[in-house]
Amino acid sequence: MSLLEVENLRVTFSTETGPVEAVRGVSFQLGRERLGIVGESGSGKTMTGRAVLRLIRPPGKIQTDRMIFDGQDLSKASERDMRALRGRRIAMVMQDPKYSLNPVMRVGDQLTEGLRQRDRLGAAEARKKALAALEAVQIRDPERVMDAYPHELSGGMGQRVMIAMMLIPEPDLLIADEPTSALDVTVQAEVLSILDGLVRERGMGLIFISHDLRLVARFCDRVLVMYKGRVVEELVARDLMAAQHPYTRGLLNCLPRIGGSRAPLPGLDRTGTWAND
Amino acid sequence: MTRMTQWLTDPNPTSRHQARIGQVWLAWIRLRRNPLAITGLTIILILFAMAAFAPLFATQDPTTQDLTQRLLPPGTRGHWLGTDDFGRDIWSRIVHGARITLYIVALVALTAPALGLLIGTVAGYFGGLVDTTLMRITDIFLAFPRLILALALVAVLGPGIFNAVLAIALTAWPPYARVARAETLTVRSSDYIAAVRLQGAGSARIIWGHVMPMCLPSVIIRVTLDMAGVILIAAGLGFLGLGAQPPLPEWGLMISSGRKFLFEQWWVATMPGLAIFIVSLGFNLLGDGLRDVLDPRSAAR
Amino acid sequence: MTDYIEIQDLSVTFDAKGRKVKAVEGVSLCVDKHKSYGLVGESGSGKSTILRAICGLAPITGGTIKIGGEALPSPRGKSFSARVQMVFQDPYASLHPRHTIDRTLSEPLMIHGIGDTDSRVMKALDDVGLPKSFRFRYPHQLSGGQRQRVAIARALMLQPEILLLDEPTSALDASVQAEVLNLLTRLREERGLTFLMVSHDLAVIDHICDDILVMQHGRAVEELSREDLASARISTVYARSLFDASADRLLG
Repeated sequence: MSLLEVENLRVTFSTETGPVEAVRGVSFQLGRERLGIVGESGSGKTMTGRAVLRLIRPPGKIQTDRMIFDGQDLSKASERDMRALRGRRIAMVMQDPKYSLNPVMRVGDQLTEGLRQRDRLGAAEARKKALAALEAVQIRDPERVMDAYPHELSGGMGQRVMIAMMLIPEPDLLIADEPTSALDVTVQAEVLSILDGLVRERGMGLIFISHDLRLVARFCDRVLVMYKGRVVEELVARDLMAAQHPYTRGLLNCLPRIGGSRAPLPGLDRTGTWAND
Repeated sequence: MTRMTQWLTDPNPTSRHQARIGQVWLAWIRLRRNPLAITGLTIILILFAMAAFAPLFATQDPTTQDLTQRLLPPGTRGHWLGTDDFGRDIWSRIVHGARITLYIVALVALTAPALGLLIGTVAGYFGGLVDTTLMRITDIFLAFPRLILALALVAVLGPGIFNAVLAIALTAWPPYARVARAETLTVRSSDYIAAVRLQGAGSARIIWGHVMPMCLPSVIIRVTLDMAGVILIAAGLGFLGLGAQPPLPEWGLMISSGRKFLFEQWWVATMPGLAIFIVSLGFNLLGDGLRDVLDPRSAAR
Repeated sequence: MTDYIEIQDLSVTFDAKGRKVKAVEGVSLCVDKHKSYGLVGESGSGKSTILRAICGLAPITGGTIKIGGEALPSPRGKSFSARVQMVFQDPYASLHPRHTIDRTLSEPLMIHGIGDTDSRVMKALDDVGLPKSFRFRYPHQLSGGQRQRVAIARALMLQPEILLLDEPTSALDASVQAEVLNLLTRLREERGLTFLMVSHDLAVIDHICDDILVMQHGRAVEELSREDLASARISTVYARSLFDASADRLLG
């Protein structure tokens, strides 16, 4: 039984020059696994992630045949039901922690806010839970981090705090939108292994949105490759390097490699029929 | 018409000129979608028309006195807004007063923001001692209530419209300097300024060609929002007898002269008051609309 | 006399609210003419600060920078501009949002009193592979890759000998990155440019650069040649960890 089922998802923005379709008929299923969505900027991967949470602001519009999360049809759910789902059962981690944490509030207060208001926990208990969450994302001195303001944290630390915050309500589904792009490579590896552990231990579903094919190939179970709002190829992550679709192949080939030749990198050929429909 | 719009919205303009006009056209399209801003713009255009063709709109000469016709109520034949204590037609005086109001507004709008923009960008760009000195001067000007400072200046310079304008301009620039400086501080450290500095550009070129265009929108917005205040201060100076001198049909002066009959002949003070109110409202509505169009944070995307 | 860019014991210290922050500490490096040198490291390693110090955009508190055997004047002046230019990381921030491409490209010519603006601007667009019809567009009418091409064209307007590249492709999509890297390689060959490039991506650095300096916390950790990197001859722990984290960027 799948956790999330999306059928024929469309996101349309009405602009001065007429409607623009950011997502054009995307369908996928997600179990308790790591699903990667890759594509270049403008491919609609971020919009797909946001549409699941119905976080598209007007003039954007979401249309879908079916969008079922754990037996509940998200496309028909009321705004109130969605609010109950967001954060608690479906959580989202954004690219840059700098913009997702409140700069004038201590990290600890932000972490316990939801626990105290939503779950009506006492101050001491909420703090205990928050500390445990920080430990779960491998922050060494959680006490210090709890009392820090977001600007006092490094990028990697901030992103871990974000993940901890999203994980406190123990969601069933985590949507991570470029969670490691703003991080250094060595920190990137740590954050990924934290996410990996959480999927395994808690049986959480993960949608991992990224522009980095190699990263997704290494980290995810299954991969959707998107181009101009459509899924052009869906494959098992292990086989990504052996992808067949010309777009996926093109994306892989245009990357420079250590020790590779100095010859001009092959460009992405966008003349195929797949690119224009 | 369609060829015209095509030329305006051409994504590949063929000249500098076309590119700039195309941008203005886009701004106009955005502005057009805001009905309140268009209302404001209409009010101001009517004000312009009234000022330009005052003799056509006015039914009588604004300064001709007729003591047999004094203090007639609105709706009297030939004087649809009534007459004042010298029997002058109030409608004609308001129409001719539009010229004075526009004269004041235009002069202030040209001088004060220019001064503020210059001081603000220079202070923000150079920083350090220059910044401290210029901004403390700004603070001193800001510390006085504007009307009081204008009063003091007019008292020194002598009453009259031009001196009133000068006094208003000298008291109006500090907020623009503040706005421009704040904007400059964010622009100063940007990569495009670093790039042009790296090309060997001098400070004057950078401030004039690169920093000022970025500060201009917020200053323009601020100016339109302040215009209401300028009209009110000009009216205030007129009211106190330090701005325009009788028998000029300046709106503030008209209110002042109507004060004596406020309870019995209310229209003498109320009609010019309404004129001030409508024009101030017009500038405010336009300013609000311009904010949406010009602010790079809300538009451009 | 082969050392063209010569940096000796460079230190850069910023004054952040009374606290001294050492961004670069005692870094030395030499770049030969027509060569390409890479600085690699994580954020806060001081790699971009070195480029900014060369341009006079960061305060040098110790050491010397020489180009062609001469110490750099301070302020840098116009002759420096004609010799050294820089391409910035973020193509969305490095072009003036209210200037047309034409204005952006002709500005350096105006500053240096070079005439013949029209044909030079047209040629510059052509050189970086942009259609001539883009001349009077505004930056917001261009994609990220096109903007970066404009930024490269601007840097080349004064026909400099040295190009400083600060993460020129890290804000771009993979396919656009490939195009920009190809463009840079081609321009270097055609014009005999000397590159000093900063990146966090070892694969990008390896594709462009002949020699690489690994940096951490403002200090130089290890200098590697391209061959060292290809055959994984790395001696320091930090450079090795960086290399391992980029394992998926290896050939094969």
